[in-house]
Amino acid sequence: MRVDLGGRVAIVTGAAGTIGRAIARRLHESGARVVVADIDAAGAGAVADTLPGSLAARIDITDEASISEGMAAVLDHFGTVDILVNNAGVNSFAHRVNIDAYPREEWDRITSIDLDGLYLMSRAALAPMLAGGGGRVINIASVVGLAAMRLQSPFVAAKAGIIHLTRSMALELGPRGVLTNAIAPGSVLSDGTRSLFYAADGTFAGRAAEFMAHVPAGRPGTAEEIAEVALFLASPAASYVNGQVLAVDGGWTAGYTI
Amino acid sequence: MRIDIAGQEILVLGAPTPVSEAAVTALCANGAVATGASPRIVLVSLPLLPVPEVDIRATLAEAEARTLEMAESTAGGRVVFLLPAVAGLPMRRHPDFSAAMAGALATMRTLAMRCGPAVLVNAVGAGAIGAPLVAGDAAMLGHASVGRPGRIDEVTAAVLLFADPANSYTTGQMLSVDGGWSAGYGRSF
Repeated sequence: MRVDLGGRVAIVTGAAGTIGRAIARRLHESGARVVVADIDAAGAGAVADTLPGSLAARIDITDEASISEGMAAVLDHFGTVDILVNNAGVNSFAHRVNIDAYPREEWDRITSIDLDGLYLMSRAALAPMLAGGGGRVINIASVVGLAAMRLQSPFVAAKAGIIHLTRSMALELGPRGVLTNAIAPGSVLSDGTRSLFYAADGTFAGRAAEFMAHVPAGRPGTAEEIAEVALFLASPAASYVNGQVLAVDGGWTAGYTI
Repeated sequence: MRIDIAGQEILVLGAPTPVSEAAVTALCANGAVATGASPRIVLVSLPLLPVPEVDIRATLAEAEARTLEMAESTAGGRVVFLLPAVAGLPMRRHPDFSAAMAGALATMRTLAMRCGPAVLVNAVGAGAIGAPLVAGDAAMLGHASVGRPGRIDEVTAAVLLFADPANSYTTGQMLSVDGGWSAGYGRSF
């Protein structure tokens, strides 16, 4: 799609990662002034270097001081915030265990980033957004927030929390000019996940084919496909869409494919 | 908002509504062609204003047949159901209408599962739209946090999203365009 974001200022957290980078790029292509925010300053800088006029900001969304410092830099540079894409998040591949064995430290680490961090970042970005008369918040959730999966309970709980938080934010912020929506990505190809899905010869690796038989699209998605929907939700065209959660998952959550 | 659908044929199933007519206009403004011999985009137009009795079985049967045909063709395509938002969240005052539309929503979802990956099937859920209303119920406005009825073009924008070739990993979903009505209790009490 082609939309004109007309110089709106968009913060994308976790923008050094695969999905965040694609969203930042898509918003930039559509005329936004983009803040490439990430805890990885070098990674943010590398992405920002490819997007002329954008700003790299080191922001640790679990640290209020870091958020304040980053937001000060954003406001000093751009003067306002119109769009916030809460994309930063983590999961763990090191602790694939049931809830009764789940390590407390890992629970705290994941929920503090995925849920608490989203709250802290939203609160900080909403101040200038509301002062400016409105804006957009786009929360990147996950299909596991809609349909639970085993062995990753903190991620599942945090993403479900994001989905319902999206709704309460929509109710509270809608009358004040801010629209809040969420995207629930399904399986998305990244540098880190590509080898989980595909063998060197391009066929599905391991049990990927078995898994993909449950996804009507029959394949994992791409970061660009997530970014396309983020662009729509950030655009003037989505001016009556509020409190919605759109799964971009190749149909995974449409129902049971059995 | 512009999408690249030059030359794609559109077929509209069901009785036309102001929203479906506007959707066709919007699609054609983006290069689509409003003839349906070999459709790549099928709009399934369901009633958007609540009525006490509604029979949409014929429309759903035709939607099923057409979507299955598209799935067998090499070109594939997109199917967009134009539903009222009560398909996803029933209203007590419209019991039969809500139930019928929930059935249409389930039909959409099963077609998405049966016809992927060749055909992507999605739905737009229209809340209180227009003045006078062309979709939804005025009672929705008390819970729509945006605080106004929507415009028809705000619904057709979501249709364009689902017809957009670049939006290629979304299927089996309904996006409600309702100003936040379906998000929860927007009223303070």
